[in-house]
Amino acid sequence: MNEQELMEAAAAAIVAADEEKAVELARQALELGLDPVKVINLGYSEGMKQVGDLFERGQVFLPEVIIASEAMVAAVDILEEGLPEAEREKTAGIAVLGTIEGDVHDIGKGIVATLLRVYGFEVHDLGRDVPIDVFVAKVKETGAHIVGSSALMTTTMVGQRALEQKLKDAGLRDKVKTMVGGAVVTQHWADKIGADGYAEDAQEAVQKAIEIAETMRG
Amino acid sequence: MGVGDPYGMPIAHGVAAGMGGIRTAGDLVARMQLAQKMRISEAKAFVADKLRISVQDLSDVTVMREIREDLDIGVITSVPGCAKGIEAKARIADLLDIKINSVERLKRKLSWPTRD
Amino acid sequence: MAEKYPVRMGDGHFVEMTADEIRAHLIEGSEDAADRGKIAPLEDSEYDFLLDLFTNPARVVGVPQGHEVVLTHDIGTLRLDGDQGNSGVGIPLSRLQGIQVHERAFAADTMELGHVDYSWKPVKPIIAQEQQVLENVLLSTIVPIFYGAMPNLGLYYAPDGPFGNPSDLLPMAKIDEAREAQELAVEHAIRDMVYVATKLWDVGGDAINFDTTGAAGDADFKATLHAVEQLKDSTDLAIEVGMAGEFILGMHGKLEYEGTRLAGLFPHDQVKLVEKAGADIFGPVVNTNTSRSMAWNLARAVTFVKACVEASNIPIHVNMGMGVGGSPVFETPPIDSVSRASVAMVEIARVDGL
Repeated sequence: MNEQELMEAAAAAIVAADEEKAVELARQALELGLDPVKVINLGYSEGMKQVGDLFERGQVFLPEVIIASEAMVAAVDILEEGLPEAEREKTAGIAVLGTIEGDVHDIGKGIVATLLRVYGFEVHDLGRDVPIDVFVAKVKETGAHIVGSSALMTTTMVGQRALEQKLKDAGLRDKVKTMVGGAVVTQHWADKIGADGYAEDAQEAVQKAIEIAETMRG
Repeated sequence: MGVGDPYGMPIAHGVAAGMGGIRTAGDLVARMQLAQKMRISEAKAFVADKLRISVQDLSDVTVMREIREDLDIGVITSVPGCAKGIEAKARIADLLDIKINSVERLKRKLSWPTRD
Repeated sequence: MAEKYPVRMGDGHFVEMTADEIRAHLIEGSEDAADRGKIAPLEDSEYDFLLDLFTNPARVVGVPQGHEVVLTHDIGTLRLDGDQGNSGVGIPLSRLQGIQVHERAFAADTMELGHVDYSWKPVKPIIAQEQQVLENVLLSTIVPIFYGAMPNLGLYYAPDGPFGNPSDLLPMAKIDEAREAQELAVEHAIRDMVYVATKLWDVGGDAINFDTTGAAGDADFKATLHAVEQLKDSTDLAIEVGMAGEFILGMHGKLEYEGTRLAGLFPHDQVKLVEKAGADIFGPVVNTNTSRSMAWNLARAVTFVKACVEASNIPIHVNMGMGVGGSPVFETPPIDSVSRASVAMVEIARVDGL
């Protein structure tokens, strides 16, 4: 199997959520002396992107996404043995997520949390009905790159504006990027309150988070 | 249509495309959708036939107001003696030859003949 | 320079577009629906019709006389007496008064009674109150009265309910546990919904509305289908199933009804199962994308709903609330958009009601 074929097979193994195959290919990649980073990025991650697309189109579902991500994690664990120490377990970024205080809707936020983990983020999911101060404290504790808040009611989305202010008051606003989402939230609202990002759905949220994190890592 | 703005929605929808409720024959057509799963054309044709008017007239307030008064099946303005509530529904059930649960229940409770 | 027309975006604000741009958005929106749902896109004459709607300067548009459809309502009287932000205008009316306002002042063809905690599970312990309110409503109103609530399987998961929360279990890769929790929630939800609806039937109820079905995913949809089936077996209640989104979120992924997997179904497939379960009316939902134009959104919504109407043998009452059915995501919806969405749904999708 040449490099190209292995990459395609790796992607296919993720799409098929075949952990055994994904691990076998990872070992093969190391035996062949392939660049682990390249195999992760152009092989397994491509598969994960396809899974994400299929999820967004309603053709695969959350449990399948998670099983696929487990396959990816298993493969990456193997490939990391071929990486220098300093390169291992680099996360894509640190994200703090939560549903704003007073709001208990969390399905969408939960999907974002799952997908961010799949894409290599260290995710601190604060859950639902989260006081603003708890968001701020977690950002400070973790040095998060991104803080994402979800609100599904017009009465709770105002908490997203309060979060912007409290981050400023705590001297953290310029150290973290804010993202907002939820059924009643719009780009217009994000612009109005000064949030750095808005996403229409979970897949878009992950894409924007990846872009933001890459920008922050420089 | 779940939103908390009566003018924006549902009144706007009603003005644009609604049958008109008890101003016209909207409730009657709705009854046939509920009672017999009739699609809109079928339900309108059925009610129009019962009322002996055209389908177009079903949402014409000048036609339907008079019919509703004559049949005493309820109108929107508050007219003393005009059928209201369950009295109007009892006549509607007879007109359309359908069962309306609250009407049947009242008849059972009063030991009046039911549609069974 | 080509003439420009004001067109709203999905969040309600205006942009300006030429006729060619509007048409391109219409086609793109319809083809997006066609691609996702594996259904036919709109035809040229339908794009022409929609283009006319968007280039028409009239504030409000309407269907031709004789084309009117039935207007049903959900959220009960919350739009009047609700005061939780976008739920209502906060007028302290009783629910009976609210329903009478809808019947006599808003030209409602049907109306709905609902509780402020608008889900089936919270109604169970206060069912006696709901029964008595319904009894009074039924005595003094003429239009068909639904009792509406949301299946809302989320209430059966921690912290509100007894079962583990799939939103917490899935990210921990506890898939079997997440699936089991959902299966248990389905059983309890069916029992609760059938209990409440039967009690309402007992006091003379006409109809019930399972609103936002599928909001908690495929388990939510499954519970509703089985509840419909059981209620149709034991009562003559008319039943509407109104959805929460355009496709069924696969939180479980393997749940089926009558041999059909529920996850991933779009409206034209959802309706077949709803019909099989015995429901009388189906209310499809197509979500509005706030980053896209209303031309894109409305064409997309109409494409999905048209396919649903064609696939159905029962009346279709398309959901047209805030952010669905071609309406913008805005708390007080602009009536120009709302009326155009109504016309499009009636004239192109051929819905039986709104």
